[in-house]
Amino acid sequence: MTGKNDKAARPLGRLADSLAEDILNMSDAEVLAEFREGGGDPEQHAAEMRAMFEKGLLAVNKARLASAKAGAAAGRAAARASVGNIVDIADARARLRAVIEHANSGSGLTLAARKEDELSDADVLGMLEELAELGLLDDDPEAGKS
Amino acid sequence: MRTSKGVSDIRRHMSAQGALSRIGERKGTEGVSLQEAASAKSRAEIVEAIRGLSPTDWVRLKKVAAYYARPAIPAQDLLQEALVRALDGSRVCPVHVDAVRFLAEAMRSIADGEQEKAERRPALVPIEESGGATEAMNCPDPAPGVEARIAQAEQESRMRADLLALFEDDPAAKDIVEGTIEGMTAEELRELTGLDRTAYDSKRKLIRRRIDKRYPEGWQP
Repeated sequence: MTGKNDKAARPLGRLADSLAEDILNMSDAEVLAEFREGGGDPEQHAAEMRAMFEKGLLAVNKARLASAKAGAAAGRAAARASVGNIVDIADARARLRAVIEHANSGSGLTLAARKEDELSDADVLGMLEELAELGLLDDDPEAGKS
Repeated sequence: MRTSKGVSDIRRHMSAQGALSRIGERKGTEGVSLQEAASAKSRAEIVEAIRGLSPTDWVRLKKVAAYYARPAIPAQDLLQEALVRALDGSRVCPVHVDAVRFLAEAMRSIADGEQEKAERRPALVPIEESGGATEAMNCPDPAPGVEARIAQAEQESRMRADLLALFEDDPAAKDIVEGTIEGMTAEELRELTGLDRTAYDSKRKLIRRRIDKRYPEGWQP
């Protein structure tokens, strides 16, 4: 612990490391004898420390419960939002159909697929996403519904 | 006698674990990486280990806390914080490390962190107006300022002087304390003082006991 390679953050940290290592390596009998010499009562001290630990444990448990409750509430909110985003494939096809019809009516837009009923559901959703990214999709999700 | 790995070994292990967590693997709810969790004691095991500490273990922890305590974080607070961090999962205990060594290393790390925080803490300076001080405050740059570094250096210097003053009557002990602070190895210290291994160990014991007696709750200015 006192080697030159020891990267104690501060010089006095090296002394603390050295002292701590000595204490950790001492025999139980030596530790207790020294503590009693200094007027300490190991049993009483241990009882006080255990009480402090149990108090800390209670506080941490309460904090964990509060955190778990907050997490569960956030999870429920996320689940509700997720359900709200579920896509109705019939609506999606109607929207794409409306865009294709608009393109065919001479808007200058050329679409590779002319008939949405030839496309898979995934292709329909993919095309809608691409059109949205290109800014060519009406923001109104109701658009195209019959 | 505690025969498991030394504090420096544990520090290296915990640092490696920390490095793993910093490279961005998925974190659990307690901020611990999956790798850490796999090689760490579970929370229940930690609780069980701490509940199982003997009176001797608690005495060891009290003394270690005193060695790492500083005015910014007293010994009792240091130990309490180490216990809380063990419980809330912000520090993980490798499976092969016993609870006393784990808590000792946690205290060392917390003390270092607190010291750095104290150095970086911006001092609030009242803005004085002609009628006296107002409630407005200047908030200086949070980077460690010259004043904070000077204050820190002064405190370290006072602590060093206080500790060395305990050994004015024992030049060999004083050399060992000073050499340890400077990072000399045990072999170098024995060579410096001319003590054989037994006499050196005996001197170290004297040093520790004298520091324990003078600063049972840790050094205070």
